[in-house]
Amino acid sequence: MKVQTETPHPSPLPARGESEHSAVAERNDAQRGELVVERVFHRYISAGREIDVLHDVSFRIEPGHVACVVGPSGCGKSTLLGLAAGLLRPSGGMLRFDGAPVAIGRNPHLGMAFQQPGLFPWMSVRENVAIGLRTRGQTRRDARRIADEFLDTVGLADFRDAYPSQLSGGMAQRVGIARALALRPRLLLLDEPFAAVDAFTRLKLQQEFKALLRLDRPTVLFVTHDVPEAIALGDVIVAMTQRPASVQRIIPVAREDRDRASPAYARKLAETLACLGVTSDIQD
Amino acid sequence: MSERSRSLLARQVALPLVGVACVLAIWQATLVAYRLPAIVLPSPLAVAKTLVDLVQTSAFWRDVGVSLFEFFAGYAIGVVLGLFVGMLMGEARRFRMAAAPVVESLRFVVPFAWIPLTILWFGTSYVGKILLVAYAVFFVMVVSAARAVAQVEPTLSRVGTMLGMSRWRLAWQVHLRAAAPTLASAARAAAAIGWIAVVAAEYIGASAGLGLMITNAATSLATSVVIGGMIVIGVIGAGVSAVIGALARRWFDYR
Repeated sequence: MKVQTETPHPSPLPARGESEHSAVAERNDAQRGELVVERVFHRYISAGREIDVLHDVSFRIEPGHVACVVGPSGCGKSTLLGLAAGLLRPSGGMLRFDGAPVAIGRNPHLGMAFQQPGLFPWMSVRENVAIGLRTRGQTRRDARRIADEFLDTVGLADFRDAYPSQLSGGMAQRVGIARALALRPRLLLLDEPFAAVDAFTRLKLQQEFKALLRLDRPTVLFVTHDVPEAIALGDVIVAMTQRPASVQRIIPVAREDRDRASPAYARKLAETLACLGVTSDIQD
Repeated sequence: MSERSRSLLARQVALPLVGVACVLAIWQATLVAYRLPAIVLPSPLAVAKTLVDLVQTSAFWRDVGVSLFEFFAGYAIGVVLGLFVGMLMGEARRFRMAAAPVVESLRFVVPFAWIPLTILWFGTSYVGKILLVAYAVFFVMVVSAARAVAQVEPTLSRVGTMLGMSRWRLAWQVHLRAAAPTLASAARAAAAIGWIAVVAAEYIGASAGLGLMITNAATSLATSVVIGGMIVIGVIGAGVSAVIGALARRWFDYR
């Protein structure tokens, strides 16, 4: 697998300290769609105590690949996503997408589905999916059409006029996923998007999700604590340590590893679980 | 009529009437027990007669109109400014730090404390009353908006940013909208305080309005007009508050 842990100054990337301008100019096609996490630290102050969440995290995702981040609960997986989204500012280090540093605030290439779906309760399901398209400049008509398309894809066409309070947890999460996908992002960040659905629906969603990714081939950072899910969806698994979290290991996943009946799958599962230490650390 | 709707009718109409009837009974009983003359306390029936006469005069409706105009003008100004400043306080930390001491101390200076100054500055015109209502309403809205906006579920802010909203679009479209149900109840509470402020200001210095009507009646010892006017104030206040509450719920409540 082409994903590797990162050195502080990987040679094809412009060195830190160079101006944003030259970084843009020197960006080549190989960097387009590539997400680089480079020696990232993150700490925050809670009740007067400094909490170290991420400690020297480095890895890289090839364009169009899916990286599944697994690790113990509360180890900072969601923080990592927040950093990749530009919703948080790292205490140290840098994240780059397309070879340019991730901006704090708005990122037009980004789509993200949150752990709590975060639907706007005053909007219908369709408006929830369409609002992002509207803020990104689509016409009202196009936004509606695209929203309907994606709601159809996640199997919620019949619920587009419903309000979030009328949906089950799993349905709300599917709306959250549709909202992220409808933006046709080049960087897709998912925070345990299938956590609130039952096992059967989850398998179905995982399959549909893979098919959806084939459409645009976004680069995906997918947080889960379900190791079988990580093997099913990931091109690579980023196993994190306990907090303060760093990358324990990067485990490539091959196509044959995904066949749940195969010995390769059993080996991959055992390898990943061993990496995470005690198996009981993994919920589900 | 079914058993169920009959009991509903009983609850919605009969019980409130019981409350009113109790007050009227105590009123009448006091009158009889102490043999009070009508100039001190007229009977409920006399007040009702006065009210019937009153609502047939154009002067009465002019006074009602003036009071309502002063109220709504001041209310609109107070709500809009209060929401705006409250939202700024909730969104911008520096603004909050600068504005908080002023807001926090001024909101305890009740509107009535301003009445002498408004009369001094604006005389008995509408302007003073409108500003007074705006002031009363502003502080209710500012405090509630600042708090409600700051307490919006953080995931919604992250979602808005992720979707590409600018900071102010986020404030307007997400934070203010998410806070709307809380703000709607604040708007209703503010209406009550604003209406009280209008009438109080008219009592002290006005050239028209319900408060003036009552003080004029008091000086000419028309006690039944005084009490009738008080009843009108109460009824209009309850009506305004109910209408604003219903509108706010209908437009803003998504819970």
